[in-house]
Parts: sequence; structure tokens; C-alpha cells
Amino acid sequence: MSKTILCHCEDVEVEELYSALKQGYGDIETLKRYTGIGTGKCQGKCCFIQTLRLLDALKSEGENGRPAFAGDVTSIHVPTLRPPVLPLRIDDIVDCDEEGT
Amino acid sequence: MTRSAEVVIVGGGVNGLACAYNLAKRGMKDIVVLEKGYLGTGATGRCGAGIRQLWGMEENIILAREAVKIFENLDAELGFNTFFRQGGYLMLIFDEHEYETVTKTIPLQNRLGVPTVLMSPEEIRDFIPGLSTDGVLAGAFCQTDGTAYPYAVLWGYGEAARRLGVDIRVMTTVTSVASRVGGGFEIVTTDGTYHAPRLINVAGARTRDIGAMLGIDIPTEPYCHEIAVTESLKAFLKPMIISPKKGFYFSQSLRGEIIGGVGDENKESSYATASSPDFLFRFAKVLRDTFPKLGKARIIRQWAGLYDMSPDSRPILGTVDGLDGYYHACGFSGHGFMLSPIVARLLTELITSGTTSIPIDNLSLARFKSKTLTRDPYVVG
Repeated sequence: MSKTILCHCEDVEVEELYSALKQGYGDIETLKRYTGIGTGKCQGKCCFIQTLRLLDALKSEGENGRPAFAGDVTSIHVPTLRPPVLPLRIDDIVDCDEEGT
Repeated sequence: MTRSAEVVIVGGGVNGLACAYNLAKRGMKDIVVLEKGYLGTGATGRCGAGIRQLWGMEENIILAREAVKIFENLDAELGFNTFFRQGGYLMLIFDEHEYETVTKTIPLQNRLGVPTVLMSPEEIRDFIPGLSTDGVLAGAFCQTDGTAYPYAVLWGYGEAARRLGVDIRVMTTVTSVASRVGGGFEIVTTDGTYHAPRLINVAGARTRDIGAMLGIDIPTEPYCHEIAVTESLKAFLKPMIISPKKGFYFSQSLRGEIIGGVGDENKESSYATASSPDFLFRFAKVLRDTFPKLGKARIIRQWAGLYDMSPDSRPILGTVDGLDGYYHACGFSGHGFMLSPIVARLLTELITSGTTSIPIDNLSLARFKSKTLTRDPYVVG
């Protein structure tokens, strides 16, 4: 069976998302922490929207033997976005601060 | 609808779920855990993941030592990989006062069975190539300290508790708590009301708010602490590096990220948990000063969480006089995750047998009536 990668940074497959749902990890914040999606270098820029699309498709009933999305969620939303917007080199952060003061 | 339970636990963090698991294992039925967000929304999911026995007070060393003993077998007990590993803690000593303290605390730790050793700056450099020892007088190293993935510990306790029949209810906020005439408690939530003879208040920085609903004055205060994480790097750092004087700590996760934080002495108490540029600047400097090579690494994410600070930075644990069936554990002051396995075990002993295998009288709420409070020298972050 072919594999579909959901999160390229952390090498998470779509099946891992389904597996987490099956085990009851049903809300988006927990899915992020359980599977690792969105915690790599791109911080979810590539995978969050795909994750939400998959969850939406599963929301009402399971398809093809996949789990119905009946976890603990009250809504499907993007996990809390955290700074920095782009990865920042430590040298650049320190030098920028020293120039600024 | 009103439901009845034997125990209602307020707080779905690691302490709440560990309590639920331990109580269920002892045979208690009808245990309900109430969590207003998802599991671990509060301090558990935001903490620095460290587990250390490098404490200065005998009672703190003993609690941490017993917690480590449980962590060492926790994966097998829970049937869950918590990613616990004993890479050690290396405490850097920067001044004479700290040096004098550590020459007293290491023999104390050793006497209590914690294998801490003193290291010279040269030994530190050999042990961890690339670590700058500028200004470092010595180091205290404990090999049996370490880290675990806080969410995995939380989920492990949660899954094991569920298998034993515990009812874990997320997205459920407690709106009021009151004592009932004739004993027990009424807990009103956004999803129904519970009546229970026992209430365990382990709501992190909100424990004081739940306590206030019952007229209990818990003198803890929330303080925002921040953490940042770098991109994954090749493994080069086994121990957690920590400095009580400079207030920083950091370690390398199994994914290779450097994760840690640095405290801010000027911060005022608040429930706000915002990430700040100021923290990013200060923590970046800590990392580059301590590991000059890290200047080339990139920080990818930062977040914030609350320390539930008690007046002496020690936990508040146990019962409250005149309120039968009420128990709490709070005021962990940044160290609730590392102590959770032993705290849950002691609370369970207290609830099921009325006594504890380790004395916890010194950790009672009543201690704050006394004017002399003792602080541990090694509260960091």
C-alpha cells in the first residue's frame, strides 16, 4: 500500500493521523502534539490545511473503514500559531538585539 | 442532570490523571476527571519536561528521588512510551555563594541516595564538548535525573485510567463548587452537575480559584514563564543544563531540538500567557553564550505557560481542616510535572488509608500561618 505524507517536516503519514483518531486523540491541538504534525521547520504552513481538509471529510461518518471524526472537538480550527513567523537564527536574534540597544 | 461519583478530580493535567489512575488501581470506582480544555492544556503541556533530584532541601530531594523511581518503571506500568530517559542534569555554578551551597547540598543528596558529583570546569568541557565554561566555577551533575515527554506521561496515565473505568471529561468547565449539607460536594459544570463525597483540586494555577469557591484561601500566584525550541539538530547534548543563578535551563529532545527557557525576575503575577520578543532575545543570548556553536541554529517556536507559585516555592499538598473529603495539590512553582508520579501516589495513600508513606505535614496549607518559611535554593526558570 502506498503511503501519503501529511507533514513533510516531521515525516508524518496520513495513516498516522487516522490511527491517532482511532485511539481517541480527537481534537486538533492534541493531534498536533500526538502525531507531531506542524511542529517542524515549516510550523504547519504545509500540513495544517491538509489536516483540516481530511478532518472535515471525516467529520460526519467514516469512509473506507477509516474512523469517523467523533473525537472531543467542538470545532475544526487551526492550532494556535506561535512566533516566530519564520525560523530565526540565534546569531541574528542576538545581534539584532544588541544593535537595537 | 445530576450524576454521582465517588471522587471528582478538577483538572485534566498530569497530576489529575495520575491521581485518577492511582485511585482506580487501588480499586476506587466512579472516578470523574473534569478538564476545561483538552488534556494538558495548562502547565503540563507547556512545561520544560525536566525531572531532577538536584534539590537543596531534604524533603524536596526525597520527593524527587521517589518520583524518579516511579518514572524508571512507568512505561511498563502504563503500557505507554513516555520517552523518559536519564541523560542527567548538569547544574552550572557561577559564584562563590552558589559554590558554598553546592558543597553542602551534594553530600546531602548523596546521603539520601542521589548520586550527584561535583565537576571542575575542565571536566565539564571534556564531558560536553562545545559548552562554554566562561565564569563557571564548577558543576553539579546527577546522572539519574532526566526528561520525559510531558504529553506522553499525561496520555499514558489517561489511557491507563480509562482502561480502569475512569470517566475523563474534556471541554468541561467547573462553574461552581459547594459543600453539601450532610457532607460531600456539589460540583456544577458546563455539562451537568456532580455530587461526590470526595473532591481533588488539582487545577494548576486555577486551584486557588476552585479553593475560593469553598472558602479556602490558597496563597498561590500565577506567573507567566516562556519557552522556546530550535529546529532539530544532530544529537550532541545528553544532560539538561541548568543555572539557578542565571535562571535558565535547556536540554536536547529526542527529536534533536534544543528546548528551554530563562526566567524574568521583574515579571509580575498574571494569568496572561503571551510569548514576548524580550524572552526570545534573552533566551537566544543564553544559548549562544553557553554554546557558541548554537548561533547557527534557528529557533522555530516559542510559547508560554504558568508557574503556580506558592509563597515558599514548595508544593501545597494534602487536606484542609474542617473540610472532610477535600484534597488538593498545587503551588508546584514550576515543578509539578516532575513530581506528579509521587504526588499522585501520596494523595492516593492519603485518600484510601488516611496516612502517607512519606510525611507531607510540612507541605500542608496550614504552614503559611507560620512566619518563617523555608525556600529551596534551586528553584529555576
